[in-house]
Amino acid sequence: MTTAPAPAARHPVRLIVTDDLARRRLTVFFRLLLALPHFVWLALYGIAASTLAFVVWLAIVFEGRAPRTLHGFLVSYVRYSTHVTAYLCLAAGPYPGFTGSTDYPVDVEIDGPERQRRLGALVRIVLAIPALLLASTLAGSVVLGAGFGFAPLTAVGALSATVGFLGWLAALVLGRMPRGLRDAGAYACGYAAQVTAYALLATGRYPDSTPGRVEPPPDLPRHAVAILVENDLRRPRLLVAFRLPLAVPHFFWLTLWAVPATVAAVLGWLVTLARGEMPSSLHRFLAAFVRYVAHVTAFTYLVGRPFPGFVGREGSYPIDVTIEPPARQRRLGVLVRLVLALPALLVYQAYSIVLYAVALLGWVAAVVTGRMPSGLRDLGAAAVRYQSQIGAYALLLTPQYPDSSPVLVAPPAPIAEPEQFAVADTA
Amino acid sequence: MSPLRAIVYLGVAGGGALLAWVLAGSVVPDGLSLPEIDVDATFGRELVDQAERYERFLYVDYLLAQLVLLATLAVYARHGARFARESAAGPIGTGMLLGMLGLAIAWLTLLPFSVAALWWDRRNGVSEVGYLEWIFGDWLALGGTFVASCLALLVVMALARWLGSWWWIPGAGVFAAIAIALVFVGPYLVTGLERPVDPELQQTYDRFEREQGVDDIPLRIEEVSGDTSQANAYAFGLGPSARIVLWDTLLDGRFTDREVNVVLAHELGHHSSDHILESIGWFGLFALPGSLALVIATRRRGGMGEPAAVPLALLVTAVVQLALAPAQNQVSRHMEGEADWKALETTGDPVAAEGLFRGFSSTSLGDPSPPTWAYVFLQSHPTLSQRVAMAKAWASESPRVGHVLSHPASLTERDRTCTFIQSND
Repeated sequence: MTTAPAPAARHPVRLIVTDDLARRRLTVFFRLLLALPHFVWLALYGIAASTLAFVVWLAIVFEGRAPRTLHGFLVSYVRYSTHVTAYLCLAAGPYPGFTGSTDYPVDVEIDGPERQRRLGALVRIVLAIPALLLASTLAGSVVLGAGFGFAPLTAVGALSATVGFLGWLAALVLGRMPRGLRDAGAYACGYAAQVTAYALLATGRYPDSTPGRVEPPPDLPRHAVAILVENDLRRPRLLVAFRLPLAVPHFFWLTLWAVPATVAAVLGWLVTLARGEMPSSLHRFLAAFVRYVAHVTAFTYLVGRPFPGFVGREGSYPIDVTIEPPARQRRLGVLVRLVLALPALLVYQAYSIVLYAVALLGWVAAVVTGRMPSGLRDLGAAAVRYQSQIGAYALLLTPQYPDSSPVLVAPPAPIAEPEQFAVADTA
Repeated sequence: MSPLRAIVYLGVAGGGALLAWVLAGSVVPDGLSLPEIDVDATFGRELVDQAERYERFLYVDYLLAQLVLLATLAVYARHGARFARESAAGPIGTGMLLGMLGLAIAWLTLLPFSVAALWWDRRNGVSEVGYLEWIFGDWLALGGTFVASCLALLVVMALARWLGSWWWIPGAGVFAAIAIALVFVGPYLVTGLERPVDPELQQTYDRFEREQGVDDIPLRIEEVSGDTSQANAYAFGLGPSARIVLWDTLLDGRFTDREVNVVLAHELGHHSSDHILESIGWFGLFALPGSLALVIATRRRGGMGEPAAVPLALLVTAVVQLALAPAQNQVSRHMEGEADWKALETTGDPVAAEGLFRGFSSTSLGDPSPPTWAYVFLQSHPTLSQRVAMAKAWASESPRVGHVLSHPASLTERDRTCTFIQSND
């Protein structure tokens, strides 16, 4: 019954992450200033790439295939913009080269020129709009590959900007980039690269937002709060069209439930501070609350299909959250838990914006096709999981810090924890 | 039918009749006969024609909408239970989903008729709301409707699962209690209401409050002039939450101060006559037969405790509402008539009242004398010609007019003007 998700067809734009997480504090501290030459070069490179993309567009519209030389130039540009974005958001450590042709710890591999459908190429910029919207929430403005660096204002709130800011602080203190933040940043870079390649006609394949399609497969350490996703992508149109009003009673109930949950959280904080462990009764109550929030969020944002129940019972919803039993916690960590949770709240804020985009795009797609695109569903599930992890952490259900990696599926043994993510194929 | 059931039915019917008798009291004199009104002379032939033409379209739209609604709900009653598989909730949660989906489908099917009505309103200058704005706002407002329907289904299904087919008796009481709670809380949830800026308006209002024996009911102004040109006012809330709200379209100069005063006194009349509480009492009374109809109709689907019964319950509710509409409108008209009478007693200004009702006809294009079926099924207020007739009846019967004519020194300048006009009428 429980199986791993079927591997998707190999995407022509593949993210490759070989970064070792080590960061030199000096280059981290001056990262933004050090990147200034790249901003200038990226702008010039972008103008050239946009001009050549027009030529490629003509070639594909008339011939169905891009000239190999021009395709190579565009690929170099996409790779270069990815390197710069990764460097800026600290998903990678070394100073990138200026050509996009050298290897980099966060890189993309793009297949050679392929035949593309002429009609698709003709209206490419229109087709790319949904992907551009999603990419803007992940990596800031990526219109024609302008990249994170060119739109510092629009990038505020984007996942990669948040990752860059928090990673900058963490790397200055620790001398290394937290793995979860690096994975989130790399994912944003990878998706932005796919979108840029698609918009510039370097590939005809639509961007795939499924997290974790990285080479080599990323780590996914065990976490006390895990998500279970049933692989059902069907969405009845009627329930999609009225999704927001249908969720209103749940918002109402959630507001009511939040009152005793707040009281329980304060009580739990006091008791945990005294005993070093949350009483199991309070843990159960608050865990049900966190699960219920996850169910309602999944329903509202179209990550889940059916109308959820009102009690947050474990196993009652296809997008479910499992929370491990109470564990001993360090009292100092308990005392300042809300302060410690602030960075994670920033990441959650960025994920929330991503979730809005997922819901908007998913709503349109599901109303038209009756299905939720799997990439959007998985990205939404990652956001819901992060929400649950930060909820559980803030409410003292677990001492484990939220893992900001969007990766949902653990790679095969030996690192994998099979129960951490399970896909039950009910489609 | 078992003897116990028969006794319960008789008891409930007797109690209901007693309550109805208590609620039916009125300050309007018994046997008050309204004079015949020459509609054309009072409102003007052209305006009457225009109002009739305007209302005729809306009547047809309403009738078609009702037919389509009932047909849609009938189809949903037959097939709607299939949507239960889209729920991961328990039976009550699933019932809520089915209820909301039924309302959503009903909203969708009624949308063309609502848009047609909006088009007609815009064409006739009654509304200025944009189509997209209206549709989106209405779609969002569905959320509030869904919450209310979920609350109702929670009560009904929980009681039905607990008490079986007897749920309808406490159900009506619970509904009345919920209505009291909602009516009480409602005013605190409405935002954007402003205090009146005209001190004279406030002073007059304070004086009317004293005359009607009500205390410190805030007067508020609601800005609607961007959406509609219709003039309106309403009284809502209970006890400390009681409010009276005037639309700013009443104060835009199309109505005289004296006409606005009639509105103030009318709305205060609702509070001083406890109409809000009485409405809840009537609501409870109407809920009894409505709930009983639900019990009987849904028996074959396992009763209201089962989610599968909810789609059918929606159809039954729509039919019962339609069937009870004449009685409900009669009750409402009774209260509105009483508030009109109190307004006349308070202002002593039947001329202003007539002017106000004539003004309503021109600003809202209300048909002064609608067809009987429309009067029975749709009119929650007395017709405009009936209201004018009541003003004339009051003028002819009220001893106060004679009193003030013989004691002019006791009047304010406004009263004198009023009396003067009345005496020349």
